[in-house]
Amino acid sequence: MNFTEQVINGLVLGHAYALIAIGWTVLLGVARLVNFGHGQMYMLGAFVTWFAMTGLNLPYLAAIPLAMIVGVGVGYMMQRTMLSLTIRQDLVSVMIVTLGFGYVIEGAAALTFGSTGQILDTPLSQKDIYWGDIWLTWQDLAIVIVTIVVFISLKYVVEQSPVGRKVRMVAEDPKLAQLAGISIKRVYLGVFAFEGAAVALAAAMVAPRTPILTSMGFEEVIITFVVVVLGGIGSVTGSYLAGLGLGLFTAFFGAYVSSAYATAAMFVVLIAVLVLRPGGMTQKMGGH
Amino acid sequence: MMDTASSPILEIEGLTADYNGNRALDIDHLALYEQQLLGVVGANGAGKSTLVGAILNWSRGAPRVSGRVVLDGEDLSRLDTTQRVKKGLLLIPESQLIFHSMSVAENLAHHASEADAGGRHIYSLDDIYDLFPNLAERRAHLGAQLSGGERQMLGIARALRLAPRVLLLDEPSIGLAPKLVSTVLTTIRQLADNGLAVLLIEQNVKAAIEVVDRMTLIERGRILAEGSAAEMRDDPRIAESYLGVQTR
Repeated sequence: MNFTEQVINGLVLGHAYALIAIGWTVLLGVARLVNFGHGQMYMLGAFVTWFAMTGLNLPYLAAIPLAMIVGVGVGYMMQRTMLSLTIRQDLVSVMIVTLGFGYVIEGAAALTFGSTGQILDTPLSQKDIYWGDIWLTWQDLAIVIVTIVVFISLKYVVEQSPVGRKVRMVAEDPKLAQLAGISIKRVYLGVFAFEGAAVALAAAMVAPRTPILTSMGFEEVIITFVVVVLGGIGSVTGSYLAGLGLGLFTAFFGAYVSSAYATAAMFVVLIAVLVLRPGGMTQKMGGH
Repeated sequence: MMDTASSPILEIEGLTADYNGNRALDIDHLALYEQQLLGVVGANGAGKSTLVGAILNWSRGAPRVSGRVVLDGEDLSRLDTTQRVKKGLLLIPESQLIFHSMSVAENLAHHASEADAGGRHIYSLDDIYDLFPNLAERRAHLGAQLSGGERQMLGIARALRLAPRVLLLDEPSIGLAPKLVSTVLTTIRQLADNGLAVLLIEQNVKAAIEVVDRMTLIERGRILAEGSAAEMRDDPRIAESYLGVQTR
């Protein structure tokens, strides 16, 4: 594999990582919370997309919004259940509850979709692009484009829109936001619903690259965690850059060292960055 | 100016607040009228901040609050903080009163909608910048870059953008230079003269007594004395403890 191939591979991987992490970026930036059910929500998004296409015979473009709607429902329900914990910022309980939700989602998915691995074929994943020695699929290109569109849209919404301003007010000081007449409950519910939609979109876009299993999700949580922390908690631009950096690192490490140790290497990078730059590569949300 | 013959715009009855079973506030009755500037004074820990927090059902701690809060004849007791704010009950807290990571303009961009304001006056940005010219000059600065006085002005301005019916201010003079204290309190007086009902929590009794219409003294969460500014100036408890005047 040549250098250019690795750059392309790393960029696709990086955009995929950034897209998988985007929901958490907003979640952590606003609610100062983690969602350890994120990986299973990713898995659910992939299986809903797969079922919509193979069981309901929906086209890919209709399956994506369906998966996102299910994601919104799951995210909303999850936050509705633990809203009082969120408002009290009871992080330990929230971690346990989200972890528990993750296993409930995994069990429900296994019951519904079975434990057999599936292939999420889309019209884009079956079409190749050749450019000299470089090969990628239209799905890879779509991942890059969708990620860029989502990040630009999110950056605009967070920084320029009244909704984004309210979210940033809650992120900086939820108590003061209440005194500005902002319903922090609605913001927390909205952010979790967004997290559900975003991770479902990521799954519908990225999962066609690999076989899907109802037991998957752990790796996605780890990737998300690394991207969000490296990027600076809550930073939209930081997460995008961290995703790209991590994708390139994984591609080159896999090609020139060993792909078997790529996750361990990711953590070495994470530890090094946390020790040298505890705030991540950029500022938290509010500093963007 | 104020008309105490009419019904109060804000009335509090049997308002209590407890922290872990310890009663920090126990107010039988307190009334505030249109265009009135009511000062609430007392020593540190007397329960002044707890009082304004309890009126909004808001606190950075977690007291257990009970009692009636009636705004313009409407009982707000069952409403949460956000709903009370939307009714026009606005609090400018003692510290952390602005969003530091946002510019002055962004702090002021959030305002009440016509629907929420229900006919109340929404201060436009032009109104705000006329009232606080310093903020106009610093509109692009981050909240964190402002001086203490400017932060206080921005805190008040933010509240005005939310179309207040009643303004509650918690120690607006704290940490400010004497000249700025006078500027801030004069501005607050001006807002009351323009029609707002204002409840001012203040430890700087000397400065506050110059601008308020009435004053209430709180100790250990209870009202100890109340009266007009002139009456309270002669009250030995105020004169000796807060104004440094020997009455005996």
